[in-house]
Amino acid sequence: MAPKPSGAQTSRFRALMALLRPDLLRWVGLGALLTVSSALSLGGPLVVRHIVDLATDGTTAARITGLAVIFLVIAVTTQFLSVVVAWFATITAWRTTNQIRLDMARHVLGLDHEFHRRHTPGELIQRVDGDVTSVSDFLGRVVPKAVGAAVLVFGMLVVLAFVDWRLAIGMAVYVVLAAWVVVRSRHRAVGESSDEMGSYARLYGGIEERLTAAEDLRANGAGTHAMWRFVEDSADTMHSALRRERAFLRMWWGVQGAVATGSVLTLAVSGLLVARNSITVGTAFLLFQYVLLLARPLEDVVHQLETVQKANGAMVRVIDLLAVRATIIDLGAVAPGPGALSVRFEHVSFDYGDSEPVLIDIDLDIGAGRSVGIVGRTGSGKTTLSRLLLRLVDSTDGTLALGGVPITDIALADVRRRVALIPQEVELVAGSVRDNVTLFDPVPTDEAVRNALRLAGLETLVAGGIDRPLGSGGAGLSAGEAQLLALARVWLRDPDLVVLDEATARVDPLTESRIEAGVRELMSGRTTVIIAHRLSTLRHVDEIVVVDHGRVVEHGDRSVLSELTNGRFRHLLELALDMDPADADPVLP
Amino acid sequence: MPVWRLAWRVSQHEPKSFWVGWSCFVLFFTFPVANGWLLGRGFDAISRHDTGHVYVLAVLLALSEALRMASIHFGALIWTQAWVHMQTLVRSNLLAAQMASGGPEAGQPVGSAGEAVTHFRDDTEDVTMFVDGMVDVSAGVVFTVLAGFVLGSVDSNAALVLVVPLIGVALATRTLDSRIKRYRADDRLAAAAVSGLVGDLMASATTIKVNNAVDPSLSKLRDFVDRRRYTAVRDRVLDEGVQAFSQGAADIGLGLVLLVSAGALASGAFDVGRLALFTAYLGWLSFLPRMVGRVLARRKQFSVAMDRMRFLVADDLSANVVAPRSLPIAPRDVRPRLVPIRPDRIPLQSFAVRDLTAVFGSGAGVHDIDFELRRGTFTVITGPIGSGKTTLLRALLGLAHHADVRGEVLWNDRHLLDRAAFLVPPNCAFLPQVPQLVSDSVAENIALGPVDDERLRIALELAAVSDDIAAMPDGTATTIGPRGLRLSGGQRQRVATARALIHAPELVVLDDLSSALDVETELELWSNLAAAGMTVIAVSHRAVAFERADQILCLDNGRLSV
Repeated sequence: MAPKPSGAQTSRFRALMALLRPDLLRWVGLGALLTVSSALSLGGPLVVRHIVDLATDGTTAARITGLAVIFLVIAVTTQFLSVVVAWFATITAWRTTNQIRLDMARHVLGLDHEFHRRHTPGELIQRVDGDVTSVSDFLGRVVPKAVGAAVLVFGMLVVLAFVDWRLAIGMAVYVVLAAWVVVRSRHRAVGESSDEMGSYARLYGGIEERLTAAEDLRANGAGTHAMWRFVEDSADTMHSALRRERAFLRMWWGVQGAVATGSVLTLAVSGLLVARNSITVGTAFLLFQYVLLLARPLEDVVHQLETVQKANGAMVRVIDLLAVRATIIDLGAVAPGPGALSVRFEHVSFDYGDSEPVLIDIDLDIGAGRSVGIVGRTGSGKTTLSRLLLRLVDSTDGTLALGGVPITDIALADVRRRVALIPQEVELVAGSVRDNVTLFDPVPTDEAVRNALRLAGLETLVAGGIDRPLGSGGAGLSAGEAQLLALARVWLRDPDLVVLDEATARVDPLTESRIEAGVRELMSGRTTVIIAHRLSTLRHVDEIVVVDHGRVVEHGDRSVLSELTNGRFRHLLELALDMDPADADPVLP
Repeated sequence: MPVWRLAWRVSQHEPKSFWVGWSCFVLFFTFPVANGWLLGRGFDAISRHDTGHVYVLAVLLALSEALRMASIHFGALIWTQAWVHMQTLVRSNLLAAQMASGGPEAGQPVGSAGEAVTHFRDDTEDVTMFVDGMVDVSAGVVFTVLAGFVLGSVDSNAALVLVVPLIGVALATRTLDSRIKRYRADDRLAAAAVSGLVGDLMASATTIKVNNAVDPSLSKLRDFVDRRRYTAVRDRVLDEGVQAFSQGAADIGLGLVLLVSAGALASGAFDVGRLALFTAYLGWLSFLPRMVGRVLARRKQFSVAMDRMRFLVADDLSANVVAPRSLPIAPRDVRPRLVPIRPDRIPLQSFAVRDLTAVFGSGAGVHDIDFELRRGTFTVITGPIGSGKTTLLRALLGLAHHADVRGEVLWNDRHLLDRAAFLVPPNCAFLPQVPQLVSDSVAENIALGPVDDERLRIALELAAVSDDIAAMPDGTATTIGPRGLRLSGGQRQRVATARALIHAPELVVLDDLSSALDVETELELWSNLAAAGMTVIAVSHRAVAFERADQILCLDNGRLSV
């Protein structure tokens, strides 16, 4: 990996600090606790040094026993403190990273429709949950150990300075060199770690997708195919894991080499200094113990360096993801007047960033309170019209106004409050019936939820109790019932513009006629845009718009268009009558 | 199957990488025995002011350290392979069970895919961590035996006293065992709940947005992550407590050695060389109880993971999680594209359903369904919402996994024992109401195996999607994005229809195919199916379907009405 410019490093550090700021006091408290526990662990070797020097000069067994007891007390206290540190560190790390999780979830939910089309939910789970857990492990495990080691080194230099300033300088040079080697090799490993995490995200993303499609794959005997893809993805993870391990070994050599060099040097230098009577044998032993004491946190850090790598890679991706900007920018502050919203498209064009236009120069005026049916072949751009109305996408050209106010001038929350969508495919969440209607909003009363369900024709769900759980992916609901549940969501919200995108496509005629009255009631006092290819759904609308290849080819009152000779809508009606009387229009002359 | 045997099976999946890696680790742990001995001799020489001897020992120490590091370098690379091999084995068994169409390998389908990913990610990790820990323990045992021998020959009293803290560690871990298991299970549940909810929120991001539900959803997520913080802290503190016990063992051991040898130290019998030897070994000696403590904890995590994973595989048997399987994923392995194993084509003459009943735990379902059909006929199933149409199709195909299913299905008057395994292409193809596609090319999504261009062309024609695909930049090689979201709803439905038709199945089962299609496209599709002479069972509410039907089955409240 090419070395990153140091600006990127600084900004990453700044981003990390920004994330820590809300819990800064706790982090400071943790630092204090670590200082006490590290200082204490420096005391043990000093006691042993004293014992060795006493033994060399000759002493009593009682004195040594007393010192040994002191040594034991220090040892036990140190371990007790390490548990307290772990407790405090974990609780603080989780507080901080839970906030990051929530921030990221909010950020990702705010990103464009286009973003969600490009990334699988499995991949996003890995970003919002998996990567943040890596950061949490880093903050809760690695950071306390690293800080503890730093305090330990500082204390060690102070102690040695009191014994002999030359030893302190020697130790300082040694520690600086060792740290330099570790930090150098660490940076090189970040890229490989990021690649490995990426290949795992692809592996899990693929698995999640195949599990979602499990019934389709089972019913089509696609087991071998799914396994082939899995083996390919796994081979990829093996390849990237080996590359990461090679990078990891480079820095492992650095750390281990430093420790080994330390003990070899201690031995040789002590031999020289003791022979010259510059230091006592006890001090030589102290040096030896301190090098061992350094080895322990250094080795700990080696074990944790993998977490560091993971977290560093994760941090890069977290920051990258947070840097993805939504193209839908919420700058509006003008509120359209209350009541039903009029809709006006002025020269609106749209494409998804490629050369193929989806909508071309749409001009359309829908009066407040009117109901409009939009018909057209699959792929004619009908669904894009609904996305524009909800401001899930912005038009590439032209203006769309709601209630006379350009949609980009209205606060996004206002748009979402006043415009409701019943989409082609209804997404359900794991939770109760109530959760699925309110989407976790605690404000609506149970009675309001029941009422909305009844209005949508889901009496059965009300009877079963609205706190009954529904599985994720709609387990326990048929596709038709799921569609009705989406209708209930709209009833609960009481919007001023309702967009139905093939909303009753999966409902049988009996159920459809049951809810048709409800939909008609929904229309009153609201503007309604109904996208449908089943013409029977459009029996009660005021106006019809026919869309073809991204253009409006016909627009007018329904009663006029259905009698217009050679009209597109009339042609469709006749075709439907030919094919399927159920789609026929009872008001057709 | 006991934990040890399961772990052994996992470890022996790729025995070569396992044993080479293991040998390197054991070698790595024998060098510290030599190093400690050299240090002890070194301090002896220091206290004798024999500088020349000290230098010789320092050189030897440097050499021994270099060899130790070389052995771990090689071992770590091999072990990484062994590690990925083991994880992949477990994952592949889970996935194969979830993907199998019937047969002995098929497991119960999972509920939420987002939640199931935690089995593939965290549970497989726990399995490998245990095997990894066992390797560390065996290497630790080798060191402990060698070091014990050296220490015992130097000062048997001081060596014996070290046994006390080691036993203390073992006892402490035993007492904490059950708690570790419970805390870990709680933590995993809380973790799965978080990632399940995150997955749901990400999958329904648009719904959340357009319903202005971002804030309430996030406050729900806050509840979940707070709960997870609580379980994670409990789990970690206990884990750290066990570790502190074993790490403290080294220092406490040294304290005890000083206590026991106080007299010998005062008299000079226990010299600084001995003290150096004990100190050097103590750092490493604590490795074994530490690893034993860790492995005991991991053993619990291993069995928690196995308990969770076995519900994904056939017969809920943990042995099936670790079943051997050929997985060519090593760097130099050749990965041939396997030809899908499909049942033999048995030309359909007649198809019959006898007394079929499928009831879910809630009491909903279908009862006493009886009907039959001949080759080349068109059977329409209709009925109001919630009358059991989809349940009937799933039950007859052997896909009603969570229901209690009775009754039989006959193919040419022969009773089908394993319907899920037999009723796949080329015998039968099924199109669910909301078909699912995956992020792959159009051709891969339809063929679900090696692609035959001619068959693909015919299937696209039949499904009335040829023109749409031809208009795409890369034709059938166009990738369709996660879950096929780059296609429109109608295109997804028709691509899935092509998937059902590509193997020219004897019987086609369609669950409300027309719901996502416009009038003109639908007309084209029905004529195509009729012209191809297909035998069809379809759910529909349309008169156009009724007109073409050879028989119409009307379901009401789970029963056929005439």
